[in-house]
Amino acid sequence: MPTRLVTVRLFAALRERAGWGERRVALPADQPRMSATDLWWQLELGDRAAGADGAQPGSLPSSLRVAINQAFASPDQPLQAGDELAFLPPISGG
Amino acid sequence: MVLRVALHLEPFDPLVALAAWQRHREQDVSPQAPWARAAAEAHFIGRVRSLSANGEPLAALELEHYPGMTEAQIERLAAAVLARHGLAHALVEHRVGRALPGEALVLVAVGADRRGPAQRGCQELLEALKHDAPFWKREWCGADGRWLEGNTPL
Repeated sequence: MPTRLVTVRLFAALRERAGWGERRVALPADQPRMSATDLWWQLELGDRAAGADGAQPGSLPSSLRVAINQAFASPDQPLQAGDELAFLPPISGG
Repeated sequence: MVLRVALHLEPFDPLVALAAWQRHREQDVSPQAPWARAAAEAHFIGRVRSLSANGEPLAALELEHYPGMTEAQIERLAAAVLARHGLAHALVEHRVGRALPGEALVLVAVGADRRGPAQRGCQELLEALKHDAPFWKREWCGADGRWLEGNTPL
């Protein structure tokens, strides 16, 4: 089975906290229904040490939104090879 | 329906942008043109504040966006507002990057056949931009930058 790669992107405060903005990540071969939420925990993006974001494994911090291929998506949607996944901190535009 | 979305990496003059947008009306004077029925227009210009959320003098406001998604998302939001209010046209221009107090951040202009849909559509589109278009603001006071989480009250 070929390696399934997705691109993960982070923005604003999230990017600075993690220390990276874009990364190619291989989806585990034994988890065909890997979601954004699963990847969030696998990449250790949560602020677990401080417990600040209040998220438990199995969910995302409530203030966070997910985009898949540059459109808002459910954090539980299974990821496909080639997807561009973005974790979006609270929006402040206009 | 006519829709234009533009992002600016450098300072832009919203009145120049508005004048350019208005020239479409002169270029297409046919009765079937979307412009012909837009007898009511509503415009909004948002500028960088001089004070931070904490009340300190603001040196600059940095706007990060998600290239590609931000433009696409604004187009989706605007298309929905255009359809919901039966608008004839909509223009959204938004600054990104580092902006100084007083500089324009956002221009929203919509046209409709009556003032009600024009004003409601303009407000709704602006609120949609603030809450559902991927932009992130960071306030710079001296050497300290602070990301904002959320918007100022309506």
